[in-house]
Amino acid sequence: MRPVTPRGFRDVLFEEAAERRAVTAAVSSVFAGYGFRFVETPAVEEYLTLEAAAGASLEGTAFRMVDLDGSLLALRPEMTLPIARLAASRLSGEPAPHRVCYVADVYREQASLRGEARQFTQVGVELLGANGPASDAEVVCVLCDVLAAVGLRDFTVGIGTVAVLRAVIETAAAGEAWSTELLAAAHARNLVAFDRLASAEDVDPAVGEALQRVVRIGGGREAIGECRRVADAVGCAGSLDALEAAWELLEAAGLAGRVRVDFGILRSFDYYTGLIVEAYAPGLGLPLGGGGRYDDVLAAFGAPMPAAGFALSLERILIALAAQGVTIPVEGLDAVVGGEDLQVARTAAALRGAGWTVRMTGARDDAGLRAEAGAAGAAWRVLAGEGVARAADGRTLVLDPVPAPPAGGDAR
Amino acid sequence: MSAERLRMAIPKGSLFEGSLRVLRAAGIEIGALADPGRLLIVDTAEIRFIIGKPTDIPSYVAYGAADVAIAGADVLAEAALDVAELADLRFGACRFVVAEREDAGASIADSYRRLGVIRVATKYPRITEAYFADRGVQVEIVKLHGNIELAPLIGLADQVVDITATGTTLRDNHLRIVDEVLSSSARFVANPVAVRIDSQRVMDMAGRLARAAGEVEQP
Repeated sequence: MRPVTPRGFRDVLFEEAAERRAVTAAVSSVFAGYGFRFVETPAVEEYLTLEAAAGASLEGTAFRMVDLDGSLLALRPEMTLPIARLAASRLSGEPAPHRVCYVADVYREQASLRGEARQFTQVGVELLGANGPASDAEVVCVLCDVLAAVGLRDFTVGIGTVAVLRAVIETAAAGEAWSTELLAAAHARNLVAFDRLASAEDVDPAVGEALQRVVRIGGGREAIGECRRVADAVGCAGSLDALEAAWELLEAAGLAGRVRVDFGILRSFDYYTGLIVEAYAPGLGLPLGGGGRYDDVLAAFGAPMPAAGFALSLERILIALAAQGVTIPVEGLDAVVGGEDLQVARTAAALRGAGWTVRMTGARDDAGLRAEAGAAGAAWRVLAGEGVARAADGRTLVLDPVPAPPAGGDAR
Repeated sequence: MSAERLRMAIPKGSLFEGSLRVLRAAGIEIGALADPGRLLIVDTAEIRFIIGKPTDIPSYVAYGAADVAIAGADVLAEAALDVAELADLRFGACRFVVAEREDAGASIADSYRRLGVIRVATKYPRITEAYFADRGVQVEIVKLHGNIELAPLIGLADQVVDITATGTTLRDNHLRIVDEVLSSSARFVANPVAVRIDSQRVMDMAGRLARAAGEVEQP
């Protein structure tokens, strides 16, 4: 047989793996810079645990299986819920807030022939046990710093809030079924259905008008003012306070040029309660990632705690970098070593000991080494001898003491 | 991004003429789109028009190959992809209906009682499945690619779910409508990222087309 990976799963080979590691390292150092600490959770969770917090939105996305005990399990479709579960079960006794970050594979069911992966990697943070504009702004700052640190030349971060829409819906008091349908239309980004519901007969026309206007407001600081006027007309201006305060902090952090206010952003997970954030790269038809505030999720796990965070798709970051022509610096090989086997082993060990990255080869002469160096992308070709190693350009490396590895710029 | 042309996918076939009418009424220059011949891509100063098969349009938009598009609500519902539906353009109105042979009533009820399942032929399996699941009716769905009204006549299916504008084809083939599933018309849709980062152009276009759609006389 000719083996294949299951549909939607794939192998990652050397070059891509090196780039993924480089991007992940850049992301991790930003996380560390804000004092976030890494955790790991199992790939599998109890389906009921996820369902308790995510509800119906899980139905079409979770990769499910039944184990030998008959328990219904799911591969984690994202990391927010596993980390909320972890916080509720393992961190409840410790002083909040918790700054948690991760790099993790997640799994989602996809119909066939849609060109969608069923496994991808998310990088993200969760700020648990902290509320208010400062923590909202911190999450957005980390997101912006991450996107800059990975080398993206052009990106936009959109922020909004579900608080306004929820407050206006509550004011409408047009019944549970109507509210559910309206939010579903908003989540499905279906403005045609949204407008139809907002202008339904039993909805106060002023409220209906406010709903239709709110989801269309976007821009800079002035967009918050515009939304405040619309919300104020139906007595909901207070729902904007948190976003406005967060915006001021972002402006002070010098991010006003990167961040756009957009009250039309509604993410498909329906557990968000306040801030909503999404990141975009031009030319990429899907968001790089996003997140927001989800203050009620941990209550579903019996440990009420405010929380906010974001996740980015590592794959989409790499696609966006490629589209923007950014080359990702990856660590190459310093040298290939050839010669008599015993000398090769000794020389390579000495060089490794001094911090070189070296590959041992079976090459006996410079012609052989040249081929090896080309294939490996090594900066140096070293022919090992007694106490010295001869580099290909004729220079002699004296191995006592062993020289420091070539600097990054010292190419072939 | 805004320096580049807005990429707009236009469905060939029954919605094509209506799309041109609304674009013209909105004062949008359509250039060679009026008579594209075999061209699949038509550029004007503002817009790159991409002409596609109606059922493929949602994929173009969801994956960002087009920023915006005109597409039937029926096709959007069947594709169930992530696109933002921004305006109802009103033309291309049609209904999704359940139909069966004029003389079939009793025999279908009888076979459902004894076999516990109805066989339904359709071009739209996802919409059909959702409709019958909502009603707790067990069905076997046969996906066909055309001439759906033939299925009950040749004994392939008990009922069909199909779109109809006037009902004439169904009547001519001795089928009667037993229920309406949903009504459809042309929609203006956008890629979910385009609507966020290029929102001024996209929302402005949605507004212009929606206003124009209200003015265009329905044929």
